[in-house]
Amino acid sequence: MQPLANITPLKPASRAGAVEIRGVGQVFKTSTQDVTALEDVSMEVKPGRFVVLVGPSGCGKSTLLMMMAGLRQQTSGTVLINGAPIPKPDPNRVGVVFQEASLFPWLTAEENIEFPLTLRGTPKVERRAKAQDALKLVGLDGFGKRHPHELSGGMKQRVSIARGLVQDPPVLLMDEPFAALDEQTRMTMGDELLRIWAATGKTVVFVTHSLTEAVYLADEVVVMSARPGRIVDHLTVSLPRPRTYEMLSGDVFGSLRDRIWRHIRKSA
Amino acid sequence: MSGTLGFKLARVAVVVAVFLLWETLSRTGIVNPRLLPSASDSLAMLGELLQRASVRNDLLVTASEVLTAFILAVPLGALIGFLIAENRYFADVAKPLLFFAFSIPKSIFLPMFILVFGVGFAEKVGYGFFSTIFIVIMSTTAAVESVKIEHLTVARSYGATTAQTAFRVYLPSMLPVLLEALRISMIFNLTGVMLAEMYASRNGFGHQIATWGENFQMKQLLAGVVMISVIAIAFNELIRWIETRCSHWRT
Ligand SMILES: Nc1ncnc2c1ncn2[C@@H]1O[C@H](COP(=O)(O)OP(=O)(O)OP(=O)(O)O)[C@@H](O)[C@H]1O
Ligand SMILES: [Mg+2]
Repeated sequence: MQPLANITPLKPASRAGAVEIRGVGQVFKTSTQDVTALEDVSMEVKPGRFVVLVGPSGCGKSTLLMMMAGLRQQTSGTVLINGAPIPKPDPNRVGVVFQEASLFPWLTAEENIEFPLTLRGTPKVERRAKAQDALKLVGLDGFGKRHPHELSGGMKQRVSIARGLVQDPPVLLMDEPFAALDEQTRMTMGDELLRIWAATGKTVVFVTHSLTEAVYLADEVVVMSARPGRIVDHLTVSLPRPRTYEMLSGDVFGSLRDRIWRHIRKSA
Repeated sequence: MSGTLGFKLARVAVVVAVFLLWETLSRTGIVNPRLLPSASDSLAMLGELLQRASVRNDLLVTASEVLTAFILAVPLGALIGFLIAENRYFADVAKPLLFFAFSIPKSIFLPMFILVFGVGFAEKVGYGFFSTIFIVIMSTTAAVESVKIEHLTVARSYGATTAQTAFRVYLPSMLPVLLEALRISMIFNLTGVMLAEMYASRNGFGHQIATWGENFQMKQLLAGVVMISVIAIAFNELIRWIETRCSHWRT
């Protein structure tokens, strides 16, 4: 037998958490006409970066995210996660946090978090332990036995985040996770997400309609235009971390938000 | 909530009041006791009837017809309902037709069942089945549609197999609606079988009730009514109890 340690790994470890989108297009064939949802979209997300996607409604943000999650296949181009294509969902590489309350109402918080592990037949003890860790990470220690209807909107999304992280994937995709929350909760959840992100070092791709939220959270903001969906700007947010509430009223913040807003107004 | 003691007592009081009113109307002769025998006499008759072998046999016949029709109609109706809900083309074609079929009073078909099956077990089961299947199909379709697309996407994104999606998403999502369907189907089923027995039959409890009516045996008739009511309510409550246990998460 050859010692396994001598075999060179196929994928260099540095690619873990990298998201590469190259020349991606998506055409939806409907009964009346063909809709070009995305055209020649290319972007690269380095491991551990927090990247926010913004753009007018219908520009294809969710479609792009679905491709990164392996939930939808592009009509052209390449999507690579950890340097490899993603022809179907792979929870070991990608965790997804959805828009609406996507928790199963018949399961408790911890059972919801365990769901991805249950599907893979992980033993109960191990599942419970991991769910407890995830609950602690998202600040919900002690709430594991509650059902979703016994949790506030913010707490539900914390559970969703915990579910996305429970298998420890290098990439976390989030499609408007805080859209349904009130403003105050939304701000708190933003800070919480940044804390979790800093603690775990995940690559995050986050979709939002709130430009304030975008600039506040992001290392980089990718701006898209509609019909067909294209990338019109890719800007770096140089504000230091940790981000603070005071930065919101600063000049750097304001000019970044204006720049994004001008793109969106043009294409809408 | 409906469970507080005060409400429960009030409900018991209403039932007791109905029986007391019944008793008084009959005893005082406000209503002719031959037309309305007293509650106590009727209940005493109920006890007596339950001792009779012929009555017990009739109950057994009815129960076997009801159960057979139920066991045939529920899985078949659920399967058809599921296929309709899962297939767009099927759904578009079949749904309006089902609504048409559902709106027709089923009783007008009873003579045809007698012509086809003759008077007997098959006719009554057939008619019970026919009375039940449409509501099962329609409720199952509703149950499948109550499965949230977001939940299916979640399952898919975490790599669920088809079987896992069926048992961990479809089934729990559908369970409350399915139990409700089961409960309502039994009402339709029981109504169908009883009607078939009362219309033309040589045995069964429905036939017995019809005979008592024709012979003006009011005590027996009322006792029979009370008995069937109690059985129907008991089944209904059993399913409702399971429902509340299974769907505590519904808000
Ligand atoms: N399954 C589909 N069939 C046909 N067209 C679709 C389908 N899914 C999305 N589209 C179209 O593709 C475009 C992009 O949709 P997508 O949901 O990705 O946009 P979005 O940027 O996420 O919008 P929003 O901000 O409103 O969530 C839209 O024009 C939409 O109508
Ligand atoms: Mg979207």
